[in-house]
Amino acid sequence: MGSSTDIPCRELVELVTAYLDGALSRSDHERCEEHWRTCPGCRTYLAQMQLIVGSLGQLRHREVEENGAERDRLLDLFRTRGLHSRGPRERSVPLGIAGELVAPGDHIGYFWESEDEFDAAAGFLAAGVERDEVCVLLGHDAANGRVLAGLERRGLAADKLRQRDRLHTVSGQQPGDALLGEIGDRIRTAVDGGVPMVRVLGNLGWEHPGWPAEGDILRLEARVTDAVRNLPSVVMCAYDVRGLSGRSLLLGGLECHPLTLRRAALRHNEHHVPAAQFLEALALDAA
Amino acid sequence: MSDGANASGAEEAAAHAEMRVIEALRQGDEAAFSRLVDQHHASLRRMARLYVSNRAVADEVVQDAWLGVIQGIWAFEGRSSLKTWIFRILINRAKTRAAREEWTVPFAGFGADDVGAPEAAVSLDRFWPADHPTEPGHWTSPPRDFGASPEHRLLGREAGEQLQKAIDALPANQRLVLTLRDVEGCSTEEVCNTLGIQETNGRVLLHRARAKVRAALEPYLEGE
Repeated sequence: MGSSTDIPCRELVELVTAYLDGALSRSDHERCEEHWRTCPGCRTYLAQMQLIVGSLGQLRHREVEENGAERDRLLDLFRTRGLHSRGPRERSVPLGIAGELVAPGDHIGYFWESEDEFDAAAGFLAAGVERDEVCVLLGHDAANGRVLAGLERRGLAADKLRQRDRLHTVSGQQPGDALLGEIGDRIRTAVDGGVPMVRVLGNLGWEHPGWPAEGDILRLEARVTDAVRNLPSVVMCAYDVRGLSGRSLLLGGLECHPLTLRRAALRHNEHHVPAAQFLEALALDAA
Repeated sequence: MSDGANASGAEEAAAHAEMRVIEALRQGDEAAFSRLVDQHHASLRRMARLYVSNRAVADEVVQDAWLGVIQGIWAFEGRSSLKTWIFRILINRAKTRAAREEWTVPFAGFGADDVGAPEAAVSLDRFWPADHPTEPGHWTSPPRDFGASPEHRLLGREAGEQLQKAIDALPANQRLVLTLRDVEGCSTEEVCNTLGIQETNGRVLLHRARAKVRAALEPYLEGE
């Protein structure tokens, strides 16, 4: 049995899982096989382990599952809640403001005037945190700072949320195309990690240094609606009614959002203009 | 053609097939979804029960996970396999639910895959001590050969129950790793990806779990 270069049986039994996984170094692998050639006890041990692994794999076939009713229920879920369906979606996601409900893929324009109304936007994110969603802040520094303070007041520490990958900030100081790409990437990365949904809060930096020009922000807003339509996300853009220009409010706020939130009421927005049409009109304006 | 080329060819074909499934789901193909449910539903239930002991709540968690699949499919980029992704969603929902109910769950918190103190796969009193003059560290009482067709004994009903009992008796982290790897048939890489743990730590936990199950089943493995 034991020669002086041989591995003791006691150590060899600890290598079996790594051996079966093909995770041993070449030399350890060879030492194991050398040992098995001469040690019946360890050969039996290895064979027993393989047998155990094999019978564990059989366990899943033992259970007889009565899946029929269950499958029908899930199919119904697929039919009615899948984001492929073109019809109106079931609103089952709490918006976090005034008890309103929204659906995944919604893009909302939020017109605010008072401090309290601005602060309610933090409630939108807090509702997401409650449901273990990911929050994305896309805003100018001053607005983001106030939103984070609002979260703190609700007992949610921004740095803790960041550590847990539940809060991200997307810089607005890049071209509109890049911004749109980054929003999509944030959503896809979160979903890839198994997160149920992503909330994006926009406080766009109209005429802020480093931010895209008005036309570029408008093109971004117009395209967000279709970009997130099939993604498990809710995007809400806050519009400062007293601070922004009439043109930003009208074109950005009113014409780019299928839903609006105003005085705590969520409404379908008849003034929403489909992206292609909006972009065409915008190009004509510029010409 | 070499084996390597064959293997990568097969992987490529599998990736293509998976892309077709993802595309079908995005288009609302109910038959594709139905097949997905048949493939994974039982596994998801078993997994959920490892986190949530109440069966009704575990079933809610599974349904929640399916909803996540249904609504997330357009955002899923295929960085991992569909199966790994579905399991990851399930585990996320289970953890969220458990946290809400203030239940403790496996692999919760930072550094949670720390494997802790060493454990011997086989009781040390079955080996000669390291300073033994002729047989240092070798078996004093080796496992006995099990003779003819032991698989039959292991597949018997009583052994099956013992197997389940041995799994149930494992510490939570070990049970989870063993279930994913050996019962559900995930690769070590998939297991560690799903659970967000280091591969070396995952393998240590798997090893300990298998060793305990073997020890518990030893009477069934040995010949009369």
